[in-house]
Amino acid sequence: MNLQENNISENNFEQCIKCTVCTVYCPVIPANPKYPGPKQAGPDGERFRLKAADYFDPSLKYCLNCKRCEVACPSGVRIGDIIQSARLKYNHEKPSVRDRMLADTDFAGEVATKMAPLVNATLGLKPVKLLLDGALAIDHRRAFPKYTSTTFEKWYRKELTAESQLKYAKRVAYFHGCYVNYNYPQLGKDLVKILNAVGYGVELLDDEKCCGVALIANGLYDQARRHARKNLDAMRRATASLKQYKVITTSSTCTLTMRDEYPHLLGIDNSDVRQNIETATRFIYRLIDNGEVRLAFRDDYTRRIAYHTPCHMEKLGWSVYSTSLMQMIPGVELQMLPSNCCGIAGTYGFKRENYQVSQTIGHDLFAAIEASGADFVATDCETCKWQIEMSTSKKVFNPISVIAEALDVEATRKLNHVKI
Amino acid sequence: MKTDNNASAQREYDVIIIGGGATGAGTARDCALRGLSVLLLERFDFTAGATGRNHGLLHSGARYAMTDGESAAECIKENMILKNIANHCVEDTSGLFVTLPEDDISYQAKFIDACNNVGIHAYPINPKDAIRMEPSVNKSIVGAVVVPDGSIDPFRLTTANILDATAHGATALTFHEVVGFEMSQNRVVGVKTLNHKNGERRSYYSKLVINAGGIWGHKIAQMAGVAVNMFPAKGALLVFGHRVNNVVINRCRKPADADILVPGDMICVIGTTSSRVPYEEIDNMNVTADEVATLLREGEKLAPSLASTRILRAYSGVRPLVAADNDPSGRNISRGIVLLDHAVRDGLEGFITITGGKLMTYRLMAEWATDLACRKLGVEVPCTTALRPLPGSTIAGQSEEAAETPVVESTTPANIQRAEVDRHGELAKRIARTNCYDHSLVCECENVTVGEVEYAFKELSADTLTALRRRTRVGMGTCQGELCSCRAAGLLSRAHGCSEKAKAELVNFLNERWKGIYPVAWGDSLRGAQLASWIYGSVCGLNTIKPTDKIAKK
Amino acid sequence: MRYDTIIIGGGLSGLVCGIKLQEAGRSCAIISAGQSALHFSSGAFDLLGVTADGTEVERPFDALKSLPAEHPYSKVGADGVEAYARALPQWFAQMGIVLNGDVERNSSRITPLGIVRKSWMMLDEYTPLADEAAIAGSRYLIVNFAGFLDFYPKFIADCLEQRGGKCRMEVLSMSAVEKLRINPTEMRSANIAKVFQSQRQLDKLVELVNSKASEGETVVLPATFGLSDTLPVEYLRSHCRNNLMFVSPVPPSISGIRVQRRLQAHFVKLGGRFYAGDTVNGATLEGNRVTGIATVNHSDILFHADNYVVATGSFFSNGIVARSNEVVEPIFGADVNYDTNRDRWFDRCVMNRQPYMDFGVATDADFRMLKGGRPFDNMYAIGSVLDGHNPLEEGSGSGVAIITAMHVANSILTNTAKR
Repeated sequence: MNLQENNISENNFEQCIKCTVCTVYCPVIPANPKYPGPKQAGPDGERFRLKAADYFDPSLKYCLNCKRCEVACPSGVRIGDIIQSARLKYNHEKPSVRDRMLADTDFAGEVATKMAPLVNATLGLKPVKLLLDGALAIDHRRAFPKYTSTTFEKWYRKELTAESQLKYAKRVAYFHGCYVNYNYPQLGKDLVKILNAVGYGVELLDDEKCCGVALIANGLYDQARRHARKNLDAMRRATASLKQYKVITTSSTCTLTMRDEYPHLLGIDNSDVRQNIETATRFIYRLIDNGEVRLAFRDDYTRRIAYHTPCHMEKLGWSVYSTSLMQMIPGVELQMLPSNCCGIAGTYGFKRENYQVSQTIGHDLFAAIEASGADFVATDCETCKWQIEMSTSKKVFNPISVIAEALDVEATRKLNHVKI
Repeated sequence: MKTDNNASAQREYDVIIIGGGATGAGTARDCALRGLSVLLLERFDFTAGATGRNHGLLHSGARYAMTDGESAAECIKENMILKNIANHCVEDTSGLFVTLPEDDISYQAKFIDACNNVGIHAYPINPKDAIRMEPSVNKSIVGAVVVPDGSIDPFRLTTANILDATAHGATALTFHEVVGFEMSQNRVVGVKTLNHKNGERRSYYSKLVINAGGIWGHKIAQMAGVAVNMFPAKGALLVFGHRVNNVVINRCRKPADADILVPGDMICVIGTTSSRVPYEEIDNMNVTADEVATLLREGEKLAPSLASTRILRAYSGVRPLVAADNDPSGRNISRGIVLLDHAVRDGLEGFITITGGKLMTYRLMAEWATDLACRKLGVEVPCTTALRPLPGSTIAGQSEEAAETPVVESTTPANIQRAEVDRHGELAKRIARTNCYDHSLVCECENVTVGEVEYAFKELSADTLTALRRRTRVGMGTCQGELCSCRAAGLLSRAHGCSEKAKAELVNFLNERWKGIYPVAWGDSLRGAQLASWIYGSVCGLNTIKPTDKIAKK
Repeated sequence: MRYDTIIIGGGLSGLVCGIKLQEAGRSCAIISAGQSALHFSSGAFDLLGVTADGTEVERPFDALKSLPAEHPYSKVGADGVEAYARALPQWFAQMGIVLNGDVERNSSRITPLGIVRKSWMMLDEYTPLADEAAIAGSRYLIVNFAGFLDFYPKFIADCLEQRGGKCRMEVLSMSAVEKLRINPTEMRSANIAKVFQSQRQLDKLVELVNSKASEGETVVLPATFGLSDTLPVEYLRSHCRNNLMFVSPVPPSISGIRVQRRLQAHFVKLGGRFYAGDTVNGATLEGNRVTGIATVNHSDILFHADNYVVATGSFFSNGIVARSNEVVEPIFGADVNYDTNRDRWFDRCVMNRQPYMDFGVATDADFRMLKGGRPFDNMYAIGSVLDGHNPLEEGSGSGVAIITAMHVANSILTNTAKR
């Protein structure tokens, strides 16, 4: 007789065999001894929390949610999920004003873009930074991302127009995310440039909300769930009308959040759309791999690029798509930086109490970047970009922007027989 | 506990108690509280026998209500007493008796009546409410009754009794096996012992010897020339990796295999099976594949998630069932308490046997035995054990010290302090917290700190790793000793200044863990076992040392 | 995604195989589901320590011929094993991994518990234990970091003293290390090693060791230095006045992690692609030929190659999986050699040979995996996923991992033309 044939427990922590490998790969432990470490905070702690909720240890908040423990785990334990779920379930502390402010990217973005020049100028001022630090515990050493005065959505509606995109027979839905919308619309424009050149139209979701990663990290779960449901519904509408088409993103974190954090942390079933959500680089890679499209690049584009693997890209395992695309550019010399956490982890590094830890974690990566001799750094995550630009002398670009810049649009259109 | 208060061969004790299980410890405490001079002798370690090998169920008595009203009444009385005097050993989880579709639902009404007749507050609830109360229970239940069950930690309970006994002047010696009796005509005047640690043989003398050896009492009585007919009934149990349930789940039917699932600490336990075993096997029992299969099959009916929950280990204990005196065949077996005054029964003076019963009634057994001892010794002091809290436990409003003790400013994370308090109650404050070193974890699965281990070495007579496990739960968690036993051995070598002994201890400890692991080693448990073997066998080179069986020490 | 060879499993065996193939100009991908058993390395590589009849092996090359036919070494052939093994130290040295010892004979190492055990070659900072005469004339200072629970000076001191050495023990107090102890669990060897990535901390340690050790003493240190390279070890050796001897704490093993990192870096440097944290969960077949494999992370984008190598390890890394009454190979459902009577899987004594450790996938003479008794055309198995050996009991784990990997890489190079 075969006993316990399906002994894959719903309680995934049970697969932990206490090998301690995760503790070797946690970037927080060496920087902050107050963090219990992934093993204690995750599978070990979970057994206690199942006995009594007051075994919950508030220092779980020091977890970056980088998921490097999960990548390292030989037992398939979703350690990061266990830790974040515990915070979700047991932490009943109300998020502070500061945390709400950092978390509500949509609200902040709406307000800030309307007054972009003023906001950008003020957030750069020392007295304002000190005020933020004093009143809100947002670290004054932190450089703020600049806000744009014309959001990506506004550009898309007013300048590009949806109609222009409907001319393409093949289309894809683009989840631009808060960063592209409020801070850096150029990335979205770059994506449109590439996809249009290969004959794909770009549509937006009819109702896009922030993916919710910052809400989750700051304990605003109800709001995160509302966002998740709205996003998934919008994706369902989009994929229903577009049939086989994907919802693509230019942010590794938005992607991971919508694919994996929605079901694992928020308990929201996304199984019907999950496989349709992917990064733009994976989408383009597949088209090329299948022989559906081809890219042509400028001869005069020569760059030395250092690629940084964002933690969530490491977890997705998809950096191969971004780097393979960049490696197709003849003039690109690509080097892989050691895959280490940069320390920012979204809003984590903005908090005064985490600033030092955040910079300590990133230290080795920053040194490697300075030593790389690269012209710039490429990475798929916007918060990694802020952190690296603030902490090193290099500029940072999304691989999509790199490809867009190197792309020979006319030649590409010809190769793909694009007439529009 | 200072267990060797001037143990002296010259001295004549009032009583010598044989057996360091709950009954022996309870009797030592009761005798000491009543002013008797006490020597307790345990052949291995406290709780090494049946005390440490049961469900850890704080019975409400409901399980016996239909079959044995007397036992049930005793149970509920002791249940309420223990919730008071031993509250750091008890978790008041409450219990459910559930009826599955395949069970006879008409049993439920009879069961409730029987409970209420003996004073057990049992009331039916809607199955839906039962599922809300305990979400792990089988969703197809057709009936549910709430009873005042709970869980109890027999290790802590026994330790607390020993602590109180020695605090009141008793001497308790572990690894002292009674190998014979000192007789004077028809009177037992003392015992001959063998010290398993150093091989020394010596005698101790007393006015009275109390045989509290549980199933092993059979042999002890034999050595004294009297017959106590015991029938070893083996019960096998499985320990799961985490708490599936927070409320005790029982099957509402005639007692049968694997019908109780008890949560305790960070695990839960399903049990038991029941089978007669030959007396010769009681020191060397293994859980069979059939027993594992039965426990899983029936356990999954109570809580379906057991089917996919990692099993940490299998173990078995022996119930000391006693045949009625007029029935040497053993057909007429009692689960009740048996107190034998061998002077009356067999004409042998100075010898009492207290046996039968169960963990739940250990205190009552101790009270009976002590009452008889006092009568025989002409001491007239009433029993106070039903009211007096055990060391570590407090009774609400009774401990001024607890109210006055300020919360200790400590860098120890609150969850680790909490685990210590769960294990040691008020006495957790005796665990050193002077520096970071003290709060570092030896056992990461059960949160056992260096401070706690050293406290157990010093004050709880934990002088082997297995004893340390029983006092602290080192090695009882998910990894079953893979990470912690090496660290514990390191601390032991420091405490004893001897690494050879620590290595031998480590091998014995790992072997004892293995005995419970291999019957259920598949899936992740086998992965863990392989990793542990690499670490201890290959990296540490420990496979050159073979374990010394505790029995072989003789 | 297309490669010449895809290797499933990124531990010692998979990496050795991948590097050999990349060196020969073949493109390889390694798909690795979590970190490998190298994290529990003893700090030494075993080749063969004990023969089937239980005799301790002095000269492993001589003992190879006594192994049963189904042993992986026998499939490679004694001469082959010897040739691969002899070439190993020099080859590893190119990747910055130093093997100390004599390839001809096993030497002694001292374990974390102060037990002397035979191994073949010692890694990097470890050197074979001196013979008793040399120990008898020596004085040792065994140091540990305050609060480090995974290193046991007393065990080591007793071991050396039994051999006539004179030992002192000292606890080193360093605030940067002790800071880890604020955390109840994370003062582990790897986290200590991270502290000593800092030059300042290394200098402090040198100063401390120099102040504690008296002339002529050998200083015994826990091997907690150099996660990525041996620079910290070399720095200590050149700046401490005394001779240094490193003894392993209990895992995680710094030297094992270092080997993992150096092999992986070398593989990537040669152009190999390492997919970390991904699990193979499906395959497409044409007859006995594997045409593609699917993974959890890449789902509909399949991996294609001419050859596939399974280096998924034993139970620990789920290369084979035990259910209550059977043992299976979880990816391909390949044939596994195991005892169908579960009662015979285990010895009741934990320190005896455990039969379950012999279980592994069945292969033909060329290490092609079998299914239903028939070999796959283009899929091989290497390392501890293989049947026919008991790594722990024989002391053959790393040897089988490395040598079968080299052998299969050679077969692939011989049998499959370069694209």
